[in-house]
Amino acid sequence: MLNEYERERYDRQIIMRGFGEEGQEKLKRAKVVVAGGGGLGSPSSIYLAAAGVGTIRIIDHDKVELSNLNRQVLHWDKDVGSNKVDSAAEKLRQLNKEIKIEAIEETIDENNVSQLVGGFDVILDAMDNLETRYLLNRAAIEHNTPFIHGAIYGLEGRAMTVIPGETACLRCIYRGLIPKEKFPVLGVAPAVIGCIQATEAIKYIVGIGRLLTDRLLVYDGLNMKFSEFSVKRDPDCEHCGNQSA
Amino acid sequence: MSIEIVIPSYLQPYTDNRDTVEVKGNTIGECFDSLIEQHPGIEKMLFDKNGRLHSYVGTYINKEDAYPDALTKKARDGDEVHVIYIIGGG
Repeated sequence: MLNEYERERYDRQIIMRGFGEEGQEKLKRAKVVVAGGGGLGSPSSIYLAAAGVGTIRIIDHDKVELSNLNRQVLHWDKDVGSNKVDSAAEKLRQLNKEIKIEAIEETIDENNVSQLVGGFDVILDAMDNLETRYLLNRAAIEHNTPFIHGAIYGLEGRAMTVIPGETACLRCIYRGLIPKEKFPVLGVAPAVIGCIQATEAIKYIVGIGRLLTDRLLVYDGLNMKFSEFSVKRDPDCEHCGNQSA
Repeated sequence: MSIEIVIPSYLQPYTDNRDTVEVKGNTIGECFDSLIEQHPGIEKMLFDKNGRLHSYVGTYINKEDAYPDALTKKARDGDEVHVIYIIGGG
């Protein structure tokens, strides 16, 4: 049940068609893990918190650096040198005091990924490297947990939602690794993609709309163009090939 | 036969900043050959030393994933081929 404070706080979304108090209660009960507290993790967790997602776990092992501040809007000048998860948690708790924020300062690896994401309703991929994305994708399939992918480069972005056992997973469409480099980025690109990821998470939890499944969304900010590419499950996929709906 | 390859912005430096290139070919592989003939510098961005597409390059015909065996997939007049790189920033 929502209390009076929550009814007023979330009034503008509760009155949306298909949302209602029931949708808000679903958000209140929901647990979302945001893997990465940087460029994508900042906007996505801000909007998840603002929407009233009951529990948000943010995982990141990095400290805030000055060069992060052009895009990682949860971190401010005063936070340089602090743990990203502590900096993020501080802001999110100020944004919404009613929700639970879990700050996990860890490096996601193959030994801990399952434990870190287990028991959550949605896994949001806000990483900055492909290797960890693959670990999260596999863990999402093992836990049968929706996985919302996002990535950026410069003014470009990608997003896709994975429903394990039903739709194409990240490994169905991405098979290789990319050379490591310091990637260029303008902060508005992860803002766009992070907000799309948060939108997908909220839609899934509330049960509204059409998810971004079996479609890779490609954002080209330079030409201000969104394109959609049709993808399908790979029966030989090394992550989800054996999983049925 | 005229087929268009759509060049993403990060590969446009290799195509004289053109965002599309008209090519000829009966397969996607032949279309890429035609692209490389016009813009030789793009070859290394698409193929490895053994002539295989880089594992981080995705190919889409009319916005549908051409995997697997993308290079042998038929290309028809009016088709649009997209090259989509994997990106990993966040």
